[in-house]
Amino acid sequence: MSGAPGGRRPTFPGLPGERVLEEAAGARRRCGNGGGSVPGTLLCTNRRLAFLAGQAPGSRGLLRSEDEVALPCIHKLVAASSFSKPKVLTAASTLKFIPEELAVFCRDFRLLHFYFPESGRAPQAFRVANAIAQAREAAARLGDAAEAPDGETTPEEEEEEEEEEGSSTVLLFESLRDWEKELQRLGAAGWRVSAVNERFDMAPSLPQYLWVPSGLLDHDLKRTFGHFQERRVPRLCWHHPSGGDLLRAASFHPASEPGSEDVRCLEALLLGDRGPCVLADTAELPTLADIQLAHLRLRELCLPGAVAEEKWLSALEGTRWLDHVRSCLRKAAEVASLLAGKRCSVVLQEPSDRDLNCLVASLVQLLGDPHARSLPGFQSLVQREWVAAGHPFPRRLGLQCQDSPREEAPVFLLFLDCTWQLLWQFPADFGFTEAFLLALHDSSFSPYFSTFRFSCQRQRGHSGTPRLPSQIYRPMGGWQDAGGHRGGPQPCSFPPVWAWGRRYSRQQREQFRNPAGPPGPTESRTPGTPADPCPWRGASLVLTLAKGSLCAHPLPWWGRPPWRGSPSDSQGTPGGLLGTCQPTPGLLLPCTAGPCVRLWHRCYLRGLPQEQRGRLAPLLAGLAEELQLLQDHLHTWNLQRPH
Amino acid sequence: MRLGVAALPRDRSFRCLPARDERWGAPPPRAGAMLGGGARAAKPSFVSYISPEEIHIKEPIEKEVNPHLLPGELLLCEASTVYKYVQEDGSNRGTYGKLVCTNFKISFLDDDSASDDNEPQFKNKIVGENDITLQCVDQIYGVYDEKKKLLTGQLRKYPEKLIIYCKDLRVFNFCLRYTKEEEVKRIVSGIVHHSQTPKLLKRLFLFSYASAAPNNTDGRNQTVMFETLEDWRDELERTKGNVKYKAVTTNEGYRVSEKLPLYFVVPICISEESILKYEGRGIPIWCWSCHNGAALLKMSAFPKEQDDSTSQMQKAFLDGIYKTISKPPYELLKMDDLSSSLPSLQDIQTAYTRFKQLFLIDNSTDFWATDVKWFSLLESTNWLEIIRRVLKKAIEVAECLEIQHTNVLLIEESATDLCCVISSLVQVMMDSYSRTKSGFQSLIQKEWVIGGHGFLDRCNHLHKSEKEEAPVFLLLLNCVWQLVQQYPPAFEFTETYLTVLSDSLYVPIFSTFFFNSQHQRDTNKSGECLKTQSGPFRFLTVWDWSVQFDPKALAFLNNPLYAEKPKPDRSQRKTARFKHQRQLSLPLTPAKPSTKRGFFREETDHLIKNILGKRIGKFINSSDEPPNSLREFYDSWHSKPVDYHGLLLPRIDGPEIKVWAQRYLRWIPEAQLHGGGTIATAAKILDLMEEVQSLQVKMDEEHSQSVSGDVHSAPMLRNSARLSSLFPFALLQRQSVKPALPTSTWKDLEDEDDLVKRDDEFVDLSGDML
Repeated sequence: MSGAPGGRRPTFPGLPGERVLEEAAGARRRCGNGGGSVPGTLLCTNRRLAFLAGQAPGSRGLLRSEDEVALPCIHKLVAASSFSKPKVLTAASTLKFIPEELAVFCRDFRLLHFYFPESGRAPQAFRVANAIAQAREAAARLGDAAEAPDGETTPEEEEEEEEEEGSSTVLLFESLRDWEKELQRLGAAGWRVSAVNERFDMAPSLPQYLWVPSGLLDHDLKRTFGHFQERRVPRLCWHHPSGGDLLRAASFHPASEPGSEDVRCLEALLLGDRGPCVLADTAELPTLADIQLAHLRLRELCLPGAVAEEKWLSALEGTRWLDHVRSCLRKAAEVASLLAGKRCSVVLQEPSDRDLNCLVASLVQLLGDPHARSLPGFQSLVQREWVAAGHPFPRRLGLQCQDSPREEAPVFLLFLDCTWQLLWQFPADFGFTEAFLLALHDSSFSPYFSTFRFSCQRQRGHSGTPRLPSQIYRPMGGWQDAGGHRGGPQPCSFPPVWAWGRRYSRQQREQFRNPAGPPGPTESRTPGTPADPCPWRGASLVLTLAKGSLCAHPLPWWGRPPWRGSPSDSQGTPGGLLGTCQPTPGLLLPCTAGPCVRLWHRCYLRGLPQEQRGRLAPLLAGLAEELQLLQDHLHTWNLQRPH
Repeated sequence: MRLGVAALPRDRSFRCLPARDERWGAPPPRAGAMLGGGARAAKPSFVSYISPEEIHIKEPIEKEVNPHLLPGELLLCEASTVYKYVQEDGSNRGTYGKLVCTNFKISFLDDDSASDDNEPQFKNKIVGENDITLQCVDQIYGVYDEKKKLLTGQLRKYPEKLIIYCKDLRVFNFCLRYTKEEEVKRIVSGIVHHSQTPKLLKRLFLFSYASAAPNNTDGRNQTVMFETLEDWRDELERTKGNVKYKAVTTNEGYRVSEKLPLYFVVPICISEESILKYEGRGIPIWCWSCHNGAALLKMSAFPKEQDDSTSQMQKAFLDGIYKTISKPPYELLKMDDLSSSLPSLQDIQTAYTRFKQLFLIDNSTDFWATDVKWFSLLESTNWLEIIRRVLKKAIEVAECLEIQHTNVLLIEESATDLCCVISSLVQVMMDSYSRTKSGFQSLIQKEWVIGGHGFLDRCNHLHKSEKEEAPVFLLLLNCVWQLVQQYPPAFEFTETYLTVLSDSLYVPIFSTFFFNSQHQRDTNKSGECLKTQSGPFRFLTVWDWSVQFDPKALAFLNNPLYAEKPKPDRSQRKTARFKHQRQLSLPLTPAKPSTKRGFFREETDHLIKNILGKRIGKFINSSDEPPNSLREFYDSWHSKPVDYHGLLLPRIDGPEIKVWAQRYLRWIPEAQLHGGGTIATAAKILDLMEEVQSLQVKMDEEHSQSVSGDVHSAPMLRNSARLSSLFPFALLQRQSVKPALPTSTWKDLEDEDDLVKRDDEFVDLSGDML
């Protein structure tokens, strides 16, 4: 057998602080339904389960992403042998028999299947199976408290490849500069970056820097924190070029009774001078429990084999996952068209402001902002609206399964699905591809990235700051000890997920870009057309958006109809609030009708071998390449041609 | 007969007034009213300031809109001041115009159509966007006092609204309230009579058209028509079936049967007597030969006989036939009685009737009402399941031919319905020639048109009997679409091609889909047409696409990404085929014997329920079933890279069978994406292809001679306007983008003085919103 069980296997490209706990040579991994299998070594480390194919090219030490599972991503581990009942392995109930097969059910819809045909190696198989069960539990217990691998340091600067575009242009929103740069790009006059939360003392779960109205002093801003749950005050997310503002906030604190001075500050923050204010709550969106339930059902439905079932479509409908996708898209489309249609501000309000607000805020920007649809733009978007905004990734993705199973809800995966729907509906408007979304989907379970390990910036700050892209781990020779620490202690220095070079080859990364995408990196933003002045100066009209309708709504502290500016002066202006009927060209309006919302086959049905194929279909790219080639030829010929 | 235009004076400027208002959405009755509910009440309000008498007073005729008539087309009746709703979405938007009925079509002529200067990129020259051919009318409903009633035959009362459902899934809503009563009578009864009542074959427009505009094209088309013996011989040679099969002339003069084509192919050992004995029944007729020599045959079965002795004789006859064609040189024979292994025609018709109902949307309220249960409704129609079963059957047949090297004999009562579906599908899957445009057309010609599929009865073109109706050909197109959609580079044509082909079923200027058999066509072609003095009719064939489309539009029928087959000479073809099936990059070892793999399954039942519910069982099960050659064939093919010029197997798992969105959703504005859909990239690909081609041309020129002048002319790029996902079928100019929240609401809010006091009052944004 060429597997060469005892012999040389490619060296395992370990992570810093990663220890191989147990390994079983002579294992085989089953490939798909076709029946083939690959020999190799099954490894269990303190971070993941990995399979090193015996003869895998391994040229660059790059572990093929399909050959490994991060421990937290393992959903169920089942062992079986011909002499005993199959058994679900947990740390508490260990294996009592020699396993012949291991089935690993993953949270990311994969199913890995190993078996150990050589009887001589039974003890190894036994040990590795138990080790996985133990390690998984241990990894889950660690959870947020990402243990800092000691002794690891910055890797040597390697010549390797030039800067990855992907990560170099991503704004991580950890420095003041990033916030300022982005605010400038948005052209949001009337807004400024406030460092009031720099020490996380105002609101622990909020980022250090907030976008607030320029007219509001930090001193006044401080008065508002107490009136919102988790002290998460309204702040700007996005500014539409024609003047609309998108804000997000937690609910009003039920117990707060602002005094008149506080009311002044609150209204300056919420209403400002920016036209009517629309409150959009999450009432029509699925709850966290709904999302979790739907995701579980979907996972069950998409296991290989289940798809052959009759009544599959009804079952799909029964999961309600697509319903949830639709309601999110619908909400986002409503908000986006409000913003595009008229100068107003929309405040997204969710009790905690940490889950569905992230989702809706990012979707609205995808719909309205062409920049967010470029690859770096999308990465920055996720960084700002999810990571910096304090989405509790570890709890929601169930990476901490022991403590809080109730809090698991794949909101982020729902967002990726929504994004995929948009991508599928508007293939020519996105700078990235399905392959990119898939990579992001799979990486969200990966514990080797700082991006999804923390619940908020503050927590991340406690664990240290991630490296700049130039300092990240290179897959070449693993982490290397070189020199000392740089610039003080860095307790945790996992790279952000945007450092795609770690897990994906250059070729694969090239597939992240959509050759049919919008021309140019990002079209230059039309300088905000402030053509629509708010008809009523000082009017404080507050509406809520519910069931596709707007309805007047008083703020909680308004006991009686508040003072309002007289709208009568506006009636003279013919445009009025009507404005231009034509939505701005960059606006995407997705269709949320049943036939238009689809199942993300390549993500959920990846158990089917045929779904794998064409995943990174090179057709368009090939055409574009040929075109380039021909043009080059022509050019050279023209040069050579004697005149 | 009264053909003249009703002497109704028109004044454009006056007429524009209400029409304009309507088109832009009449101002909502009152700020804040529910548009959805208030719509009906609002309807008549806009005419109130113009009394009917005024119409007569208004004088000079500025411009008369005349229908564009084809040669041989006669205007039968017409009505003016008909109001056509753009889409019955409760918003009342629409246009005024004239409704006419000719012996070819029902047509609505609005003012725009006369002065339309922006030509759409994709336009059918024969059937315009407001034309409905008489054969395309599915059902007509009249609305009486808000109640819908199906209109057939004689009418006693005339409706105020007319709803026409078309077979290509368009829905037209006409309001007749402002039309003169006599015109209403004439037009409604005219339309119902000409489109819904039984007709004689000779009254089909086909004949008037053919005598008025004889087909003068030389008919030299790449499509093989299979009307001559040579065509069949060539086909035999192409598939190398000529060793064991022969084309026979026995049916010349239709001596054998009127249902069989003039020429057809049978095994060499079949004698002429046996063909003649039972009018061709019980005779295996050749469809196609596979590269390994195995052949696909079809046979029409004997009807169930009461008489014992006759059935004994028939059985003996059949046994004799089987014996002859089962011994060498013929391969083993497998028989498949399609009438028992596939859904009946009745089932197919029922399923399709239910299925199309999902897309014949009266108004958007209905649409959103069904939307919630979309998937289960879709499933309950059973249409996708039928498609899946048909595809599965085709895979079975392909497996027998390809792997088991057996001949397959498809049996069906007349061998002209499901036999055609399966044999065509098998050829599309196995013969890459059938995936080119001309190959596919030849295939339709061979199996369907000449093969004797009863288009006239199955489409119920003559309204003779509803019982015979069954969308068999549409079923084939739906199945082929699944393949096109799963493997786009393998097909020279696009889904748009299939869509326009399905529409052409109802355009009676082509003979292709308007006869039951070659015999019927031949007899009617030459028959009693002497009085026209023009000799036999010369019909057009649908394959001449330039009749319907301009070259610009034709570009959308061709797949720019078709992986064209390299053209090696014949000897090399075989090696080329194998080259494509390269090895997987991973070292695979053959599967372990299945005995070993079974254990996981047997004992896991209990466990599996505990883990994730019973479905896992199927996963573990899926590879461990008792040796199932079909499943193995399917799985092993799917685990290899696709060779676009080799065998192509559709994926038939539940999630893989999809709705042919282009055909079925194209008229539904709610499903429209502005700037989205597959067309968004398709347009880019077309641009790229054109650029590549033009560059290639330039390079060739450079090679051959030195060209003077500047070579750098900017490549012509398609205008990069954002298309709708429903392109090329949507009526773009009408339906401008509709934001999810219409901005007009703001106006209402603005006007509202004491909005805050009305805390609990909802301001509905739009009746049709989500």
